[in-house]
Amino acid sequence: MSKLIELRDLRKVYGDGVEVIALNGVTFTIDEGEFLSIVGPSGSGKSTLLNMLGLLDSPTSGSIILRGVDVTTASHSERARLRNKELGFVFQYHHLLPEFSALENVMMPLLIAGKRDKAARERARQLLEEVGLGDRMDHRPTELSGGQNQRVAIARALANHPAIVIGDELTGNLDTKSSEMIYETLRELNRSMDQTFILVTHDMDMAEKTDRILRIVDGKLVCEMRRVGGEFTSKDICQMRE
Amino acid sequence: MLPFELFIALKYITARKRQTALAMGAVGLAVAISCIFVALQNGFESFLIEIVVKNIAHITVSPKDGDMYLHLYRTLVERAWELPGLVAVSPSLTAGAILAHDDNVENVALSGVIPWEADEISGLGENFIQGEFNSVLGGRRVVMGKALADKLDVKMGDTLEASYPDSRTLNLVLSGIYHTGYAQVDEGMAFVSLETAQRFVDEGDVVSSVGIKMVDIYEAPRAAEEIEAMGYNAKSWQELYPNILEVLAFQKAQNKINLLLLLVIAAFGIANVMNMLVLEKTRQIGMLMAMGARPASIWRIFILESGILGLAGGVGGSILGAAVSLYLGGIEMGPPGQSITLYFIINPMDIITFNLAAILLAIVAGLFAARKASRLDPVEALRG
Repeated sequence: MSKLIELRDLRKVYGDGVEVIALNGVTFTIDEGEFLSIVGPSGSGKSTLLNMLGLLDSPTSGSIILRGVDVTTASHSERARLRNKELGFVFQYHHLLPEFSALENVMMPLLIAGKRDKAARERARQLLEEVGLGDRMDHRPTELSGGQNQRVAIARALANHPAIVIGDELTGNLDTKSSEMIYETLRELNRSMDQTFILVTHDMDMAEKTDRILRIVDGKLVCEMRRVGGEFTSKDICQMRE
Repeated sequence: MLPFELFIALKYITARKRQTALAMGAVGLAVAISCIFVALQNGFESFLIEIVVKNIAHITVSPKDGDMYLHLYRTLVERAWELPGLVAVSPSLTAGAILAHDDNVENVALSGVIPWEADEISGLGENFIQGEFNSVLGGRRVVMGKALADKLDVKMGDTLEASYPDSRTLNLVLSGIYHTGYAQVDEGMAFVSLETAQRFVDEGDVVSSVGIKMVDIYEAPRAAEEIEAMGYNAKSWQELYPNILEVLAFQKAQNKINLLLLLVIAAFGIANVMNMLVLEKTRQIGMLMAMGARPASIWRIFILESGILGLAGGVGGSILGAAVSLYLGGIEMGPPGQSITLYFIINPMDIITFNLAAILLAIVAGLFAARKASRLDPVEALRG
C-alpha cells in the first residue's frame, strides 16, 4: 500500500494573548484504501486535525504531505483545487444546498471542477445509484430523511474521485439504524473502490467498526489500534473508552 | 453550459421567491417611476417647445452687422431651398411706419411679406376674421389686427396713409382684419406685400430678414450653420431663445438626479436581501469552499445574483413604466372643458440608461455581501 497522506509533527496554536495548543506534535501516515477513525473527547483537537487533513486550515508548524507533495504552505487557490480534486467531506450536518435536488447537489463538486453539465449529471446519477438513492435523485434535501441526505452527502464527497473522504461525526445526527446503513455504505465503497475514509467521531461503536483507530487527547496522538483479523491490537495499552 | 456560479445564483433567485420578489419589486418600481417621470418630462418638453416654435421661424437670417438690409436675398432664398427638410422660406421687409386715417394716427411695424410663405411660419392666415392674408398681393393693400383697426377706426375697404421719415408716403386699402391674441401682432403690426414694402422703404429689391421653417426643429442649428457658411448671418431658434432650452435642461438634470436617488434607495433593497442571503447561507458557503469553490467564485455568485436581480427588476420596471405611460397618455384629465391629455414620450435611451443604472447600482449593492461571503473562513463558516 502506498502512502496517501503524511502528517509530520503537526502543531496548531490558536489565540492571541492566551495561547491554546490545539495540536501538539501529531505524526502519522495514512495509506491508500484505509478505513480509519480518529476518536477523542470534545476539545481534544479532533476537529482541528480534521481541518488540517482537509486542507481547510494550515498548521502553525509541521508539515502535511499529500501523495508525496508537501502541501503545508500551498496557496489558498491551490488548496481549493486540492480540496476539490483530492478530498471529499461529509459533515455531521449534511450541508447540502437546500435549493438544489439531490442530483444537483452531487453535481456541484464536478461543476466546480469545470466539468460539463452532461458529464457531471451522468457521474452524479451513477453515484446516487451506488449509495442506493437512484429513485430519489430529483428530491430536495427537505424531502429526504436524515440518513438519505447523509448518503447524498457521501455521494457528493465521492464525486471527483477523491483520494480521501473525511467524515466529521457523520452519523452524529442519525438513529442507530440509519447509522448502521451509512456504515454499510462506506464499508462497501471502501471494499469495492478501495476508497480511503477517515472518520472523526466520538462514537466508539462506529470507530470499532473501522480498521484503525487513532485516539487524540489534548492535541496529542495518545494511542493507535489496528484491526488484525477480527481483533484490535495496539502497541501500547490504550484506554479507548472515555 | 452554465458556469456553476451562475447555476447557483439563478437557483437562489428562483428558489427564494419572496426575497426575490422584494428585491426585484423595489428596483422595478423605482425604474418604472423613473420611466414614467422621464416620459412625462419628455412630453412636457416637446409640448413646450412645440408651443414656442409653432409660430416662429426656426432659422432667422438677418443682415450682416452694419447693414440695414439683405440685398441679394433672392440668391439666399434659392440656395436655402436646396437644403433638406425645409417647409418655408419667407423673406420679409419690416420698417417703421405711421398709419393715419382721418385724425387717428398709429405707429406700427409695417411688414412686407410673401403671404403664403409667411403664413407657413406664423400661421397668421387662419386668424383672419375679415378678408384674407393673400389679399395683400392685390397692389396697395394692407391687413392688420382688429385692435389696430379699431384704434384707427378703419373698416374693410377704407384707405389709410402710410408714411415715415425717409420713406415714401403710400395710400393703402384695408383688405383684411385678423385677431391672434398677441397684442404685439394685433396692435403693433400691419402686413403688406413684399413689393409694397419695398416701394415704401424705397431702397430697391431688399429685405430685412428671411425666416426659414423646417420639418425637424432640431435640425435648425445644423441648417443655420450651413447658411452661415454661405456668408449670411443666420441664427437658429435655439440660439435666439436659449433660455427655454436652459430651463428645460436644468429641469431635466434635476429630475435625473432625483430619479437616480430613487434608484439608490431601491438598491438598498437588494443590498438588504443579499446580506440576508449571506447570513442565511454561511454554512453552505463554507461547504462550497470545502468542495473547492474559490473565494472569487463565491464573490461571483453574489455579484451575479444581485446583477440579475437588478436586470430583472429593471426590465420589469421598464415594461410597467412604459405600460403606465401609454395608458396615462391616452386619457383626459382635469375638469370638463379644461381637460388636458398628458404627453408621454418614451425615449429608448432613457430606458436603457435607467436599466444600466439599475444593474450597476444592484451590483454595487451586492458588493458588500459578496465581499463578506468571499472572505469567510471555511472552517468558521461550516461551524455557522
